[in-house]
Amino acid sequence: MNNEKLIELRSISKSYDGEKVLRSIDLDIHKKEFVTLLGPSGCGKTTTLRIIAGFENPDEGEVIFEGKKINEIPPYKRHINTVFQRYALFPNLNVYENIAFGLRLKKLSDEEIKQRVSEMLALVNLKGFEKRDVTSLSGGQQQRVAIARALINKPEVLLLDEPLGALDLKLRKDMQVELKRMQRQTGITFVYVTHDQEEALSMSDTVVVMANGEIQQIGTPEKIYNEPENAFVADFIGESNIVNGTMIKDYLVSFAGQTFTCEDAGFAPGEPVDVVVRPEDIDIVPVENCMLTGKVTSVTFKGDYYEIIVDIDNFKWMIETTDRVKPGQTIGISIDPYEIQVMKKSEFSGMFGDYSTFSDEMEHLSELPAEDAE
Amino acid sequence: MTATVKKSRRSLTAAPHIVWAILFIIAPLIFVAVYSFTASDGSFTFENFAALGDYTDAFVRSASYSLIATFICLLIGYPLAYAISNAAPKMQRILIMMVMLPMWINFLIRTYAIMKILEDTGIINTVLQAIFGEEFELHMINTPGAVIFGMVYDYLPYMVLPIYTVLQKLDPKLSEAAADLGCNKVQTLFKVTLPLSVSGIVSGITMVFVPSISTFYISQKLGGGQYLLIGDAIETAFGNTTTYNIGASMSLVLMIIVLLSTAIMNRFDKSENEGGAIV
Amino acid sequence: MTRVKSKNSAISKIYAILIYVILYFPIAVMILFSFNDSKSMTNFTGFSLRWYRELFNSGKAFEALKYSLLIAVLSALISTVIGTLAAYGIFHMRSKALKRTVQSVTDIPMMNPDIVTGISMLLLFAFIQVIFGLQKSLLGFGTLLIAHITFNVPYVILSVLPKLKQMDKSLVEAALDLGCTPAQSFFKVEFPMITPGIISGAIMAFTLSLDDFVISNFTIGNTFETLPIMIYSMTKREVTPDMNAICSIVFVVIFALLLLSNIFDGSRSAAASITEKLRKNSKVTAIVAGCVAAVLLVGSTLLFIFAPPPAELTLNIYNWGEYISDGSDDSFDVIEGFEEWYEETYGKKVKVNYTTYSSNEDMYNKISSGATEYDIIIPSDYMIAKMASEGMLEKLDFSLIPNYKYINDDLKGLYYDPDECYSVPYTYGVFGIIYNSAKVDEADVEAGWDLMTNPKYSGKILQYNNPRDAFGVAMYAQNLDVNSKDRAVWQQAFDWLAKQKPMVQSYVMDEIYNKMESGEAYISSYYAGDFLFMYENNEDLAFYQPEAVNYFIDAMCITKKPTRDAETYELCNLFINYMLSEEAAVANAEMLCYASPNSLVIENEEYIEYMSDIHEDAMDILYPEGLDFKAKYEQYAYLGLDAETNKLMNSLWSQLKVSAEEDEVEITNYISLGILAVIAGTAVFFFIRKKKRAKYY
Repeated sequence: MNNEKLIELRSISKSYDGEKVLRSIDLDIHKKEFVTLLGPSGCGKTTTLRIIAGFENPDEGEVIFEGKKINEIPPYKRHINTVFQRYALFPNLNVYENIAFGLRLKKLSDEEIKQRVSEMLALVNLKGFEKRDVTSLSGGQQQRVAIARALINKPEVLLLDEPLGALDLKLRKDMQVELKRMQRQTGITFVYVTHDQEEALSMSDTVVVMANGEIQQIGTPEKIYNEPENAFVADFIGESNIVNGTMIKDYLVSFAGQTFTCEDAGFAPGEPVDVVVRPEDIDIVPVENCMLTGKVTSVTFKGDYYEIIVDIDNFKWMIETTDRVKPGQTIGISIDPYEIQVMKKSEFSGMFGDYSTFSDEMEHLSELPAEDAE
Repeated sequence: MTATVKKSRRSLTAAPHIVWAILFIIAPLIFVAVYSFTASDGSFTFENFAALGDYTDAFVRSASYSLIATFICLLIGYPLAYAISNAAPKMQRILIMMVMLPMWINFLIRTYAIMKILEDTGIINTVLQAIFGEEFELHMINTPGAVIFGMVYDYLPYMVLPIYTVLQKLDPKLSEAAADLGCNKVQTLFKVTLPLSVSGIVSGITMVFVPSISTFYISQKLGGGQYLLIGDAIETAFGNTTTYNIGASMSLVLMIIVLLSTAIMNRFDKSENEGGAIV
Repeated sequence: MTRVKSKNSAISKIYAILIYVILYFPIAVMILFSFNDSKSMTNFTGFSLRWYRELFNSGKAFEALKYSLLIAVLSALISTVIGTLAAYGIFHMRSKALKRTVQSVTDIPMMNPDIVTGISMLLLFAFIQVIFGLQKSLLGFGTLLIAHITFNVPYVILSVLPKLKQMDKSLVEAALDLGCTPAQSFFKVEFPMITPGIISGAIMAFTLSLDDFVISNFTIGNTFETLPIMIYSMTKREVTPDMNAICSIVFVVIFALLLLSNIFDGSRSAAASITEKLRKNSKVTAIVAGCVAAVLLVGSTLLFIFAPPPAELTLNIYNWGEYISDGSDDSFDVIEGFEEWYEETYGKKVKVNYTTYSSNEDMYNKISSGATEYDIIIPSDYMIAKMASEGMLEKLDFSLIPNYKYINDDLKGLYYDPDECYSVPYTYGVFGIIYNSAKVDEADVEAGWDLMTNPKYSGKILQYNNPRDAFGVAMYAQNLDVNSKDRAVWQQAFDWLAKQKPMVQSYVMDEIYNKMESGEAYISSYYAGDFLFMYENNEDLAFYQPEAVNYFIDAMCITKKPTRDAETYELCNLFINYMLSEEAAVANAEMLCYASPNSLVIENEEYIEYMSDIHEDAMDILYPEGLDFKAKYEQYAYLGLDAETNKLMNSLWSQLKVSAEEDEVEITNYISLGILAVIAGTAVFFFIRKKKRAKYY
């Protein structure tokens, strides 16, 4: 990855039927970068991708590619290729011809096409599948054909729209690794759209978290996870306890009726803030030398740890621990200063981070893809 | 065991249809064959087929006219179906309904109306004469062109409907994918949309070709009886018991021509039962 | 959802609009002229609801519509039941071979040209009739219904089968699991799931049946008419604007229904939404199923009521089109008059079935095919001779026909019926040349028959669409004997016709009225009486009578029918006698404009006045003074042709009609060859390219 900007989005806005889908998006994508647009359905990530591909025109703003504005350039003239959500393979062509599609348009010789197709088939591990009918392939295989079909054109950028959404968990994990490998091998910039935070964190160089048509945070996976900028990001990436707090002064924040040292500075003294503590960062300690005490309301066995919900000062916290506790038991907890992340108040404050109505099922429901609505 | 018994018992519900089909589909066709191989006194003969030589022109003419009409229908109908399938969804329903609507007027009346329009003293010529003077006359009726126009007019909806049905089911992502891979509009049409709508084209062609090649009313009204088609010859033959046999042999040959061309057409269409030929 | 909007959308819009305009232009014309004040379909003379009034006043169109609807409803219901059961059965068939066979057989009526399906059924019914030695033709309501069901069932299967295939198999298992018996699971689960397919199949069957003409044409017989059949027989002569009116009504109703369904239902077609409602409520489904069963029951009862005519006396009359005074234009309805007279005199109801033909040959073919049954026919002289010699005519009982005495003695005992036992003259006359005096130079007319081959009028000449008359014209024109048995003579006539063919606008029978009246054609040969008829509508027309022309007599006869009982036989004779009564004969003569052989007519003052009103020379044209009819008749009239000559004539005729003109062959055949070449070329190109590419896989 270098710092040369490849694609720049400048104040992109877009609405459908009067409904704003994108509100003034600014985004830089660098060469050889693996960028993931992450967000819940309807956040505008697919629209952003389609604007880059050229399938949509922004209402306002500029799309800049290698320093040139490309708003008016139709998709077929952009050096950008797309891997579609449901592959969009041409059912009338076999695997070979699907992959060769772009090269045929360039009127390359049959020999050259054969050579490049073989390379691609090797890249996506589909050697020997040339004559197969694409409709007879499994989802994962179709996905590989779709990727090969796009990559063979040697695009500057490959756009991937939830490419793994239709695959089962095991296959998804394998493909994640493979995609990353292919990206490294080809050195092509990948712009990847997903609603799966785990996928985003494990594959990307840069994660762009989006919600309500706006970018919430841009950063490396570590930064996004460890230093979420607002309650939305904190909640969307992993589990978080988000509580109201007040910044007393730099490196000192109060919440849950106690004052804690932290590593954040730059807030006005007395400023109300959101405080994030990840469930796995909370230690259970004897009540005598604890920072906070709370009453355990539920315990769920998760295999390598227990997930417990603790009522602290009428706020339900989630704690992941290996210690055995019992519901009804009063426990003491302790949080290290570097585990406390202080964030500015945002429109999302108070919407997330309380586990009083938490259940696994709810979590899954909220994650169901509903991209079709877009 | 009981499951198999039940299964076979279930298929018994097809029995009335099978009996009906044997009585009223297969038996009549057998009679067509029987009549075409017998003389009017009932003796076996090949004479009817030998006599078909007299009708070679009618066969060739029917084949030519219907082929041209089908081709024109395709040339006109495909772009129309394509345009409709690209319209806004609400508009699509109205547009496709408007294609179907004329089919609710009996084709006899539609053909008659065309005759009245194309005649030398018809509406078009009346208007033209009002513009270019009394002497002007654009002769249209009773020409091969008029017969072919009648076929195109009467059967165009049969071409548009199946093509539209297929186009409308096409995943719009496929044309996006084509554009993404470097196809411009025209290339997308010819490399992706067209190949993927072959099944619609095939049923459209069949649905236009079959009634065109066997029509007799259109040629009677718009051809003035000058351009005898095989349908006319069959209809005339069946007006008279003494010519039932030659009529049967003409029908048999017509049937074979149609079934053969349908079979050839279907070879172009790999996807089975995909069709959606029927609305 | 295509967001890539076409930049060429303006072009495609214009294109679509153009196609729609062409598509709707004829329909618009039809609707417009349904409001025309006059009969014309080219000149709009003024707005009027006249044709709508006539439509509602005349029962004929509604009668036909009633039969159309009845057939459509019955065939749709029965084929829906058979088709749904069949689809269910086919779906559950275990033997793949059987399944495939049944499905291919099912496809036959859909793939076959309609005309082949129609004639194949006609042959079946004709064969059954022959095998069982039935006197009465099978063709009628029953056969039409069978034919419609036959072509409807495949469409029902086609729309039900996919629904069965789409159905999740575990649904039935779930139903069984939850305690349904197999029967219950069918009615509670499977049936509701396939209901949309059943309903759309039924609607399709109804529509197809309502609209069918071709198959009906061969299987309907002659006891009744459906709307398309009625339109067909009308377009043989002229579609009266009340047909435009009925079609306009149908069009507007359908249009409104579609519009409504579109407004009320955002996303689905009306049928789908109905079915969805049905599916939601199994009680409704049960009720609907009950209704279907009830309607079926009622339908089949109706079938029995309609199929055999009610047990009163019936008289089947088979006559030329427009060849009787039928009550139109305030004339006296002779048929009704007879029915009333008979009921008054004999106290018994008689039902007269009246059907028409357009040529002697058509009539002969129908009767000799045995496919139909008639009591009274009115053939021309030569045909009477032919039919009498073939034993197809019944002797008349002249004791029941006292009015025979009014018949002109010149017309009695002529060659075709020398013993005066088979026929009673109805009309007689002569043909000549009818021409449009505004378009044809009088000087050219003097040439007599040669006018019909005058290149000056190429494309404006009409010729008979039947061999006897067409060859007759050719023979009179060359002073040949129309009854010759000499091949060479016929060949000479053929050459004349072949030479004339490129100049002929069309070969017509009754369409001649329309084409001459509208000025579409300028020259034709037709009968003097018809000339007067046409003159009423176009005063530019004039009549020229060459020396050598055909003289003809049409006479009433009774067909041979062994099954006819004595009472009906008497009825037949009484009808003929009634036709000779002053009231009926004058009404007919005024309606037909042909010469009447009946002295009661010729001496009727009112009749003479009526004819002179039509054309000042009408009486002279019809009844030329000093004409020795018998002599002329014996010289020029058609005699029956022997089988060999007849065959020769027919074969020359089909040669004339079939043979292609030189230039025609060039254009269309080359175009179609070109198309074939393009198709083949494309196919070969893609085949080769595919092969070439496949080498690299």
